[in-house]
Order: sequence, then C-alpha cells, then structure tokens
Amino acid sequence: MKRRIPLAIVFIFGVLGAIPFLIPHRIIQNADNEFRSSILRIIVAFSLVLGVGSIIRHHFQKIRRKKENWQYSYITLIALVISAIIGLFGGIDARGMLPTQFTVPFTEYVFRFDIQTLYTNIMVPLAATMFSLLAFFMTSAAYRAFRARNVEATILLLSAFVVMLAAVPLVSSFFPKLSAFSEWILTVPNTAAKRGLLFGIALGSMATSLKIILGIERGWLGGTS
Amino acid sequence: MITSILIVFTQLEIFRKISWKKNRFMKTTFLLIFLTGLSFAISPPTDVRAWDSPNDAGGSINIAWRISPDDPMLDGYEISRLAEGAADYEPIGFIGKTRNSYTDEETRDGVKYQYRVAAVKDTIMVYSEPSNYVQSSSQWFNTDRINVLVFATLFIFLILWFTSRAKKGMSLFIRKIAGLDAVEEAVGRATEMGRPILYIPGLSTMADVATIAGLNILGEVAKKTAQYDTKIIVPNRDPIVYTVAREVVKESYTQVGRPDAFNPDSVFFVTDSQFAFAAAVDGIMTREKPATNFFMGYFWAESLIIAETGASTGAIQIAGSDAVMQLPFFITACDYTLIGEELYAASAYLSREPLLLGALKGQDYGKAVIIGVLLAATLLALIANLPVLRLF
Amino acid sequence: MKFFEALMKIDRRILYLVLAAVVIIPFIFPFMIHPKAMPPVENLYNYIDSIPQDKALVISVDYTPDTEPELHPMTIALLRHAFTRRIKVGVLCIGVLGLGLAENALNQVAGEFNQRATSKADSIIYGRDYVFWGWQTPVLTVILGMGERISRVFTVDYYNNQTETLPMMKQIKNYNNVGILVSVSASASPGWYITYGQTSFGVKVGIASTAVQAADWYPYLNSGQATGMLSGMKGGAEYEELVQTNLGITDRRRATEAMASQTSAHFAIIVFILIGNIGYFVLRRRKK
Repeated sequence: MKRRIPLAIVFIFGVLGAIPFLIPHRIIQNADNEFRSSILRIIVAFSLVLGVGSIIRHHFQKIRRKKENWQYSYITLIALVISAIIGLFGGIDARGMLPTQFTVPFTEYVFRFDIQTLYTNIMVPLAATMFSLLAFFMTSAAYRAFRARNVEATILLLSAFVVMLAAVPLVSSFFPKLSAFSEWILTVPNTAAKRGLLFGIALGSMATSLKIILGIERGWLGGTS
Repeated sequence: MITSILIVFTQLEIFRKISWKKNRFMKTTFLLIFLTGLSFAISPPTDVRAWDSPNDAGGSINIAWRISPDDPMLDGYEISRLAEGAADYEPIGFIGKTRNSYTDEETRDGVKYQYRVAAVKDTIMVYSEPSNYVQSSSQWFNTDRINVLVFATLFIFLILWFTSRAKKGMSLFIRKIAGLDAVEEAVGRATEMGRPILYIPGLSTMADVATIAGLNILGEVAKKTAQYDTKIIVPNRDPIVYTVAREVVKESYTQVGRPDAFNPDSVFFVTDSQFAFAAAVDGIMTREKPATNFFMGYFWAESLIIAETGASTGAIQIAGSDAVMQLPFFITACDYTLIGEELYAASAYLSREPLLLGALKGQDYGKAVIIGVLLAATLLALIANLPVLRLF
Repeated sequence: MKFFEALMKIDRRILYLVLAAVVIIPFIFPFMIHPKAMPPVENLYNYIDSIPQDKALVISVDYTPDTEPELHPMTIALLRHAFTRRIKVGVLCIGVLGLGLAENALNQVAGEFNQRATSKADSIIYGRDYVFWGWQTPVLTVILGMGERISRVFTVDYYNNQTETLPMMKQIKNYNNVGILVSVSASASPGWYITYGQTSFGVKVGIASTAVQAADWYPYLNSGQATGMLSGMKGGAEYEELVQTNLGITDRRRATEAMASQTSAHFAIIVFILIGNIGYFVLRRRKK
C-alpha cells in the first residue's frame, strides 16, 4: 500500500500531464491550467516548507549530538532566522514594518541592512567569487590534461585553440577568417555532435519517464523492491 | 471597387454635359475638384476570408485578405466584425499597411461572425466586401502534433514489446560501457586502500531524470560497499534527494544482509546553495581523501571545481551526467565518464534486470527509427535538389 | 631534462598566481577593445531594433549572483537599447535569486535615462515604459500562462501593484503583444522558453548566455528557433558596441572593460597549454 499509492498517483498524473499537449479543447486546457496555476503551486509551496524544515532539523540534530563542526550549525541557523525576519518584515528597499536602516551617530552615514542591501553586498560578491574559482581550476585542468596524445586529442586541442583565439577581440579583428572558422566549428561539427547528444538524452528521458509512469523504474521510491 | 468606378463615370458624364462656352469657370472648378478627388480615391482590400483558428481551445477566428492596390499610401487597415443579431459592425483592431491577416481572439464559440476590412488613409475609410459567416470552436485533437503522437506510440510500443520479450527470457545484448565496468574495480581499490568512497548523486531535484538514474547507481554501489565493508560518504544538495538517498543506501545494505553495517550519518544534507555545496565537497575530499569519487547526476558550473579537487587528491573518478555542457570538464578531470544516456542505461547495465534491459533495448530501437527517418529525409532532400531534376 | 620534468609537475599554485596577475593587471593598466559584432549578436540587435511600438521586449532575468559579472552587462545593454528606442519592457525572473539583480539593472538604467531627461516624455517611468513582474513558480506555469494572460500569472508586480492597473499592461496582454523574449540565463531556461513558449504560442526567443553554455544553444540558432544570441562576455561587449555606435549611448560598458582581462587570460592559458605540450613531447621522445 505504501508503494501502491505513490505509483498510482504517478501513473494518473503522468498520463494527465501528457494529454493537454495533444488535445487543445477548452475543457482539457482549462483543467490543465487549473492544475498548474493552483494545485501545482500549492505543492511547490509545501516543498519549500519541507526544504527549510529539513535544514533546520538537520542542523539541530548536529548541535544536539555535537557532531564534527557543530558550531557552524549555529551560524547557519542564526543567519537563516535573521535573513527570514529581515526579508519578511523589512520589506523591499527598507519599506516594511521593521526598520532596516539607521544613521551612524556623529556621521551622516546611513547603515542599511534591508534584504536588497544584504543581497547586493553579501550574496552577489560571495557567489561571484566562488564562480571565479572556475577560471583557476580550468587553468590547472587545461595544463594537466590538454595533451596531444593521439589524433583525436590533437584535433580537440587545435579546435580549442581556434575557438579560444577567436574569442579574443584583438586577434579576431586582425584575423577575421579565424572568427569565421571558429563560428563554423561551433555551428557545424559542434552543433551536429550536440544534436546527436540531445536526441539521445531526449529519448533516454522519455524512456525513463515512461518507465517511472508505468512503475517499471521504482528507484525514486527509495529502494528497488 | 465597382462603386468607385461608378462614381468616377458619373462625374465624367456630368462634366461632359456642362457647356464650356457658357460655364467656363464652373467647368474649370469642377475639373480641379474632380482631379483632386481622384488623387485621394483609395481602393479597399479584397477577397476577405474568415475561418475558425485550427487546433485551439476556441474563441479565435483568423481573418485574411488581399491588400489594397493603394497599400503604400495607406495608414493601415481597420478590421470590424458583425456578430449574429447585432445591429452594426464594431471595430476590433487596427494593423499597419502591408499586413494581410489578423486574428480575432475575443469571439464566443457558437456565435456567427462576419468581418470586413477597411483601408484607412487619414480620415478616409474604404470598406471591403464582407466575408463569409464563421463561428469559432474548440478542437479535440491538435492535428499539427500528429507526427509526435505517431512517434510516441511507436516508441511506447517498442519499449513494451522488448520489455515483454525480456520477461520471457529473451537474451538482450548491451555493449560494454567502460565507466560502469570500472565501478567494481573502483570500489575494490577503495577497500584495499582503506579509504572511503565519495558519491554525489548530482545537484538537481527528484524531478530530474538524471537524479533518479544517479540514485539507481548509488543503490548498486552501496550494495558493493556493504559487501566489502567500505565506508561510503553521500553528501546531498536537495533535502528530498537526501531522504531518498538515505532510503536507497539503507535498502541496499539490507538486501545484501548487512543492515547493521549501515551508518545513517554517511548520507547527509549539506546545503542547497550550489557553490557552498561545492566548497563543502572540496573540504570533504581534502580531509577524508576518498580513494574513489563518483559524480552521477545533473551538475552545473561547480562540476569542474569538484572534479579538479578530486583529481588533485589522487582519487579514481567516475562521472556520469546528461548536462552536456559539463561533460568536457568531467572528461578532462575524471578517469571514466558516462556521456548522456549512458547514465540512464546504468541502472539496467549494473542490475541486469530483464525489465530494465528490455526498456533500454526499446529505447535504442526508437533511436534507430529516428536515424532511419533522418537519413531518408536527407537523401530525398538531396535528390530533390539535383540540377538534372530542374529539367523536368 | 630535469627542467621539463619540473615543468610537468609544476605546483598549480604558481599557475594560479600567474593567472591572477594577468587578470588583475589590465584593470590597473586598462586598454580598450572594440569588438566587431558577430552575426548572432547582430541578428538579435536588428530584431529588437525593429520591434513595432505596439509590442514589448520581455527580458527574463534567469541568472544568479555567480554569473552576474558575465550576464549582467547584457541585461544593462538590452535595457539601454530598449529605452532609447522607446520600446516597452517587461522583466520577469523564473528563479528567485535573479530578483535583486533584475531590480538593480532596472534602477541603474532608468536612473541613467532620467538623469538626462528634460521632460516627462523623455523620462523612463515605471508602469508606463517598463514593468517588473517579479517571480512566480513553478516555471512551466509562468511560461505557459504568459501565453494566455500575463496579468493572470503575475496578478501583482514586484512592488505589489495590481498588474492590470499599470498603463503598459493595458496594451501588453500576452505573447501576441511581445516582440521578442530574451532569456538572459546561465541555466536551461532558454530551452524551456523555446520548447513551451515558442512551440505553443509562437513567441520569438532570443538567448543571452554564458560562453560555456552558448555551445549548447547553436542547434536552436541554426534551426531559427532562437532569433539571435549573445554568447559570454564577448557577446555582451559586442552588443554594447552596437548600442554605443548606433544609438550614441556612452554610459559605462562593463563587458567591454572586462575584455582586456579576458584577452590576457586567454593568451595565458594558451601559453600554458603550449608549454605543457612541449614538455610532454620532449619527455616522450626522451623515453623512446
């Protein structure tokens, strides 16, 4: 029963999800719109609650059992609560119930901590910094792995050179044919390979989705039996 | 058009009858007015047709017409409609010159409408002949998508047919996938070195097919770690995937008869922030120094950060993803990479379950059908463009 | 020979230091590069330029702070283009993390124009010239719902105004009133707009993506499903160049400023790869 109900739900809604694609009639489209705009939104909202609840439970357990690095869990929970309060009650651009700015005494400087300021001054630089690490990792990966070991690797290496050089405006303005060749590499062989991959992935997704709808694939239930 | 010709003809006739000798001034004035009026006469659009918009949910009618011969002079066209039972036409839209179609999306199904289109120049409006009466309706089938239905039906049939054949014991060949053959060796390596295995089931949600494929492989890997008593570490980015991964690992340990060996803390949730998760995984790699890393699922930009750090610790790395743009990074940094649908084939490949093998076979035959259609269409297009055929 | 062996085993931190230097130095000693626009960028520019006055440009800000340096200049350039040509703009986000970035972009560009404006007609006014719809979930509901009625998907905008009451929304009701939708994204959202929005409602889609992801979108560009594409920082710099050359906008061009660093970094990586290959071939010959 514990498995039959989820399998039945998946089957029914899997089939119902595919039908509106083929049947444009008002009755079917309205039912589909109602499901997507009302019911699905409620389900997604609950899953957000589930996500937040899961984080809180996990870190509380870590603190209670004093697992490795449990002190950082305090920081996580405090940051979660503070940003939630500021976001919910501080409003956008300091226009909410909670005051989110004050003037520093003896100066004219206004210190703001509304959600937009936190986002712009903390989230954006932190995320951009982490993403910037990729440049360094790419360098070490390219130095270590880009070797002309065989014919295929050599072709790959030469293509990489052409595309990288064409991405440099200084070079592409002196050698316009290089840009054209780079465009050709991207629009012809690259596109052909990507299309092949896309076909395979699309069919694979379709087959896996079909297996899930029909109950052949049950790994998502948590176990294979 | 006929009305305009009649008006011009009548005016010419009046002009002809005015005596030149007696009314020179009147005739000259009349001529000037006539010529000025002639220069401002515009022709209406013609051949106005209206029909129910096909393949829709109703409430829409398409209107098309032949543009006025005076189109370059016009400001545009005004479309008006007469509903059944209404007293007069009501304007419903205005579009620019050179355009010859319009869609009325405010109709009521079952009510008959008639349309006319006026050529507009400043305040002058010249109406076309009215169109046929038409009513909008919903359609029960989208005929534009019949090809999708045909292929989907064929595809489903192939999968079900091969699945039923597999259940009856038919032997199904699947080619070697090096990355999956290496799983056993990789787990064995970790056991010999006494170091843990790190498994990341992707960063996406349970709604993603790649995550499901990754969790299927996790189940098989967990069975091996249970048998060999090797430590496994499974950090997760999504809370729901974390709960499912925990159940998958626990189930695997139970299936091989080692439920006592399952450590609940081996599968844990880290954070849902992408790069914070990558930083956490890097920290685990540098501290725990796993002998084997598995990256199976959907990844984004953090893939290279994770894979390169793993490579620097000397671990053997097996990756599998359908995130096409991350594959180059995995291929560069990992020892084995499952490309695209090889990841989806993994659960069938590792478990050798007949149902899964049959579905995989059906999928492959579906691909063969697409390749056949592509080749046939390419050949036909090539033949159709042969210079010799232009002679006919 | 020991030199080449040492070169092959060089500490990666030295590579990182060299890369950091070649990226930082052009910011201290900048040199300007004026890239020539490639056809995908030109196509997108020309299409937006020809949007009729009764249609809007919709920008879907689908990126997050980590890809902000690469994609944000594209959003800014698109907004500058639209506001100069007095094209109405609708902005939405299908990820919650894009909201702050979208608001930053709108405030910045509207502020630039309003500083120069001499009358109300010249100014960029919220509600009349642009609307920020905000974020809604789930994604498919948003993409498909906008084909029916945008104001039903976003009943209130980001600032909690009733969407139906805004002047621009009296004209812009659904995809039929959208000239083109440009998805500025580091994820798969352009593909969703093409698969669901364009297939079902015929809306034109433009793509502005990171360089890494651009290779994935070429099939859509070739088939005509994507009208044009800005690819990476260079694509952003090309669009900025077109906006400056054709429309005379001389505000700060962040993508163009970064091209100097990108150029040096590309050269540095090419040199590293060459050195690595030279060392590899020398050692291989030695072993033979």
